[in-house]
Amino acid sequence: MKKTITRRLNQSLLAVSITTLLSSGVAMAKSDDMHQLYEDNCASCHGSDHGGYLAPALNSETLKGRSPTALRTIVMAGSFDTLMPPFYGKLSDDEIRGVIKHLQATPKQPNPAWTIDDMKKSLKVYVKDESTLPAKPTFQIDNIDNLIGVAARGKYGRGEGSRAIFINSVTHQKVGEVPTGVAAHIIDFNPANPRWAYVKTDTAEIFKVDLYSMQAVRSIKTGWNGPGMGVSRDGKYIMAGSFVPHNAVILDADTLEPLKTFELEGIDPDGKMVSSDSGMIIGTPYADIFAIALENAGQVWIVDYKKEGFPVTKIEKVGRHLHDAFLTHGGKKLMVASYDDSIVAAIDLEERKLIKQLPAGCVPHVGGGSAVVVDGRTLGFGTNFGDCDKMVVSVWDLDKMEVVKQIPVSGGTESPAAHANAPYVAVDIISKDRRARTVQLIDKKTLEVVKTLDVGGHAYFPEYSADGKFLYISAGYNGDEVVVYDSNTLQKVASVPMESPAGIFSRGRVKYMTRGLSPDEMEQSK
Amino acid sequence: MKMRHSVFMLAGLLASGGGQAASLYAGQAKAAAVCSQCHGIRNPSADAPFPPLGGRDTEYLKTAIKQYRDKTRVSEIMNAIAGSLTDKDINDIAHYYGSVKP
Repeated sequence: MKKTITRRLNQSLLAVSITTLLSSGVAMAKSDDMHQLYEDNCASCHGSDHGGYLAPALNSETLKGRSPTALRTIVMAGSFDTLMPPFYGKLSDDEIRGVIKHLQATPKQPNPAWTIDDMKKSLKVYVKDESTLPAKPTFQIDNIDNLIGVAARGKYGRGEGSRAIFINSVTHQKVGEVPTGVAAHIIDFNPANPRWAYVKTDTAEIFKVDLYSMQAVRSIKTGWNGPGMGVSRDGKYIMAGSFVPHNAVILDADTLEPLKTFELEGIDPDGKMVSSDSGMIIGTPYADIFAIALENAGQVWIVDYKKEGFPVTKIEKVGRHLHDAFLTHGGKKLMVASYDDSIVAAIDLEERKLIKQLPAGCVPHVGGGSAVVVDGRTLGFGTNFGDCDKMVVSVWDLDKMEVVKQIPVSGGTESPAAHANAPYVAVDIISKDRRARTVQLIDKKTLEVVKTLDVGGHAYFPEYSADGKFLYISAGYNGDEVVVYDSNTLQKVASVPMESPAGIFSRGRVKYMTRGLSPDEMEQSK
Repeated sequence: MKMRHSVFMLAGLLASGGGQAASLYAGQAKAAAVCSQCHGIRNPSADAPFPPLGGRDTEYLKTAIKQYRDKTRVSEIMNAIAGSLTDKDINDIAHYYGSVKP
């Protein structure tokens, strides 16, 4: 609010002082103002380059011919069943009209830079002397693996409601809240030191969080937008990648200081040289490497973080528009979703090559992925974003790398959850109607949907507690709670209120690598 | 979907002997579609300039929404949003929000 008042004051001061100036000067000042207003209120979802991100691209091309009145209504009242909040009362009518005019006149911007020097300057230290931090958790918890982190977006994707919220998954009580300013998107846990977690926001800030005292100790802005983040198996490095600009960076996990940036570009499967968004980034328990997917270039790069200069091995022609991935076989194999050709590509991280492209549903989005061992077979589960005739969850035999079944489900899906001790694989239905309230449960043995939970809101991102006894689900926007179910009886056992919760991340993930596998799987790889 | 709603409502009406029986279920669906985007379910966003509705007095809510609908209380946005609500909708919504614990 304060910012808006300041801006209005500036505007009126400007209005007074410009009476003697040329009108072109006025238009210029107004456009700069509207650009700032866009950056402050819209860009975290719609993209700093006006090219879209979680939400559609807003530029002169995409908004061509759209009625300014209709657009004003959407901005004022929000868009039902999407993350778009109502800006009535937050922005003045003049501001809303102004930003729409600005957007309809602004082309998609060239990739705005964010260099290693920009990153260095953005480093903030909240706790100078980390030796003053408590030696053990300041809240009641038997095992730190029982922590579950929730990325609460906040209604506006920024502000008071935007927090990383941590829950003890045995008692279902909140044990900490870390404000992140902008919507938290990804929470990763340090596999080597249980006290650290890393939270990445929609505007690419990474917070280093002390879980024992539940506070941020440092933060750094690694780009403008982009969710990619991975932590090395030794807990010493973080790799982060952006959509805007097209780069990735390796950080010192302790100080968050940037060590090296990588320009993401390469030849795509159709032979074209392209600059690329960063897709998923993952550290594997199998080796001292990061794997990063180059979305548009269709390549997976492997970075050796223990070697001088962080050398890169490029695996080309993996798929058209890569996005997310999950690990299998002790972290030696990587299953990467490819949007545009509806496949999931299996990569051998040991041989550093593509093994096979497996058929998926429409627009595969594997989320964190899931793998379960049933009757001696390791089965991988892949969700699919797209709304099409063939709405399925793919099941693959990960040893033979072949399709076992395409399980029909009631809509598009975003993220599967599984646990070695839980009987069902949970998938979130995201099709934009009443189905969005639901999560479907697939029996691990029969590979059929056996139950549909009506969670409410826009239910997504299921996650099991580390012991597998409870299933956590975000009721998302219009839900404003995380709902907890008993994994076996599927009875609702608790509700944890928060603003627009999205991704849920169990610390147990560092133990079982991929959700659904037993911790023994990890032991074998050591 | 609509058919099923009206069957539900009809059953509700018959059971209670008609008149002003409110359907919390219909109220919840309507609130989710019309109100909660701004006012939230239990609470509006911490950053939002909108008043909370959860747990408010049912009669007060009914009166206020009707005033907005009939434009006897003036608010550009509320007059537009409440404009399409029927008496039944308002009754359902007011009972639903009245029943919510903030």
